[in-house]
Amino acid sequence: MMTFFLSPLPHLRAATALMVCTLAGLAPASAAWAAPYTATHASNRGNNGPSVTFSAEQVTHGAQIYAGACAMCHGADLEGGHDVPDLGNYFMARWANTPLDRLAGYITHAMPLMAPGTLPPQDTAALVAFVLHHNGVTATSNTPLPMEEARQAKIRIPAPQALAAAPASKP
Amino acid sequence: MKRRDLFAASLAAGIVGATRRGWASVPEASAALGRTALHGTIPRLVPIRAHADQITDIKVCLRPFRPAGPRLEVEHVAGKTVVHNYGHGGSGWSLSWGSAHMAVGHAAATLERKVAVIGCGIIGLTSALTAQRAGFDVTIYTRDLLPHTRSVRANGSWTPDSRIALTQQAGPGFAKTWEQMARYSWQTYRDYLGLPGNPIDFRDNYTLSDTPLDAADHAPEQVDPAKGSFATTGAPQNSAEFAIYASQISDIIPAAELLAGADNPFPVAYARRTPLMIYNFGAYGHLLLSEFYQAGGRIVIREFHSPSDLADLPERVVINCPGYAARDLWNDKSLIPVRGQTSWLPPQPDALYAVEYRGAAMISKSDGVMIQGYDMNGLGEMDGVGNSFEHPDRAEAEKAIAIIGDLFARFQPRNG
Repeated sequence: MMTFFLSPLPHLRAATALMVCTLAGLAPASAAWAAPYTATHASNRGNNGPSVTFSAEQVTHGAQIYAGACAMCHGADLEGGHDVPDLGNYFMARWANTPLDRLAGYITHAMPLMAPGTLPPQDTAALVAFVLHHNGVTATSNTPLPMEEARQAKIRIPAPQALAAAPASKP
Repeated sequence: MKRRDLFAASLAAGIVGATRRGWASVPEASAALGRTALHGTIPRLVPIRAHADQITDIKVCLRPFRPAGPRLEVEHVAGKTVVHNYGHGGSGWSLSWGSAHMAVGHAAATLERKVAVIGCGIIGLTSALTAQRAGFDVTIYTRDLLPHTRSVRANGSWTPDSRIALTQQAGPGFAKTWEQMARYSWQTYRDYLGLPGNPIDFRDNYTLSDTPLDAADHAPEQVDPAKGSFATTGAPQNSAEFAIYASQISDIIPAAELLAGADNPFPVAYARRTPLMIYNFGAYGHLLLSEFYQAGGRIVIREFHSPSDLADLPERVVINCPGYAARDLWNDKSLIPVRGQTSWLPPQPDALYAVEYRGAAMISKSDGVMIQGYDMNGLGEMDGVGNSFEHPDRAEAEKAIAIIGDLFARFQPRNG
C-alpha cells in the first residue's frame, strides 16, 4: 500500500500495559466523527525511562514550522495521502516505543524531503512536540521536549493506548 | 446547484460561478463549461439493444444511508476494539479504499497483529486488503460472499457523493474527511486500470437532454417548506438537504465536454460527454478475493446475531463492515434505506459507453448492459429514500429500459 518511512521499525509491538489515561482537554483538531482516539495516549511514566514532556510554546512553534515545511506533503491535518505517509494513526503505530532521538534524528537528516538538514534542533524538537500533541499525547509537564540527542534517547515514543478510556459511541 | 443525475458531479467545477440562466448558444455554453468536445472525437457508436425482453437479471439494493455520514468510530464491545466502517449510502464503492485506509489506521493504532473483518461486501473486502497491506493477519467473518452481498447490486460507477450524507447533519468537518477518502480511493482505483478483464475501466458517459442541460444544473432546488426537513421530521424531505462535495476534487476528475450539434450522434438537442470510472463487478470481485487469499487471508462463513457474539472471536480488533445490516445487528436506527434497482441485459462489447437520459442511466459493462431508473419520477436525491422494498419491480425495470429503448429507436448511426 504505502511506502512508509525508511526508518527502524518499532521493536516492541506489544501494547504497553500500564497506561494512565489522561483525558486532558487536548483533543485533536480532526472532526469528531472520524477523530483519532481522543487523547488516550499514556504518558509512559515509569515505563522505559522518563515520560514525554513538551511545552505549549513548542506545540505552537511546531505548528508554524509544520505549516511551512511539512503540510505541503503531509497535509494540513497530518492526514498524508495515497503517496505520502500520514502522521496520525499509522505513524504512531510505526513509531510506538521507539526512542525519541530516532524520530528527531530522522526528521533532522531526511526532512523536509526537498531540503533535508535545514531544520535546526529547536524546530525539530518543536515538530516532534506538535506531532505528538496532535496525536493525543499529553505532556506530563510543561517542561520543553529536550533538543539534545542523549536526553531524547532516554524517552520512548508512547504507544497509542487504544480506547481504554474512550466512551462507547452510540449510533 | 441542482444535480439531475448521478454523474453530473464532474461537471461541477466547470460551472462554478456561472449565473443561473440558460445559455443562448453552444459557444457560450461551452465557454462556461470549459470547452466543446474536439471535432472528430465522438466515435461511431453502436446502438444499445435496450428491450425488456432482453432482461437477464433485476437487482435491488438498499443503500445504507446515514444522515451524519458513514460511521467510522471506534468503540469497545464484548472485550474487542471495534472499528466501524459502514453507512456509505450510494458512495460505498467509490469511497471504499479511502474509508478502509482510515478504518485500518484506527486498527493499526492498537499495535495488534491480527484483525477480524466483519462482512465481505466492497467495504469489508477493501478493509481486509488494506489491513493486509498494513501488515495484519486478516480473517473475514461473513454471512455471504461478494456475489451475494448488497454491494454487487449497485450500478458500479464512480459516484463518491451520492447519498453520502445530509449537509447539515454531517456538519462542515465531514467535507474534508470526504475529500481525503475520495482522493485516496480514486488513486487506488487507478492501480486496477488496464488489467486483464478490465476490473476497473472508463466509459464515455453521454448526458442527454431535450432541454438545455445547464438549465437543469442551475435551477434552484424546489423546497416545499410544508414538508419540513430532517431536523424537524427525523427524515430527509427534499433533495437540497443532501450533501454535494464533488467540486472539491474537480482537479483530478475528468470534466464534461459539450457536444456541438454536428458532433452529437444522439437524437436529442443537448448532449455532453464525461469520462466515467466504472467497476466491472465480476472481474473486480474475483481479483480482490484472489488478492486476499494470495496474501494469506482467511474467510470464515459465519453470521452474527448480536454484537456480543464478537466475544468468541480470537482476534482482539474488529473492523465492522456490515453495510445496511448494521441497522439490525448494531441497532443503528440512523441508517435509512435508499432503494435502488438495476436491470441487466446481455453484454454488448461492441458498444462500450454510457448514457443518461430522462432519469434513466445505461452503462455498458463487461458483465452486461446495466439500465437503472435513478430519477424517473422527478424526486431527485429523494428517489428511493426510506424504501426498503428489496424485491425486483419489473414494471420499474421496463419503464427504465423503455426510456433507453426509445432513445435508440430514434438513433441514426452515422457512417464511419
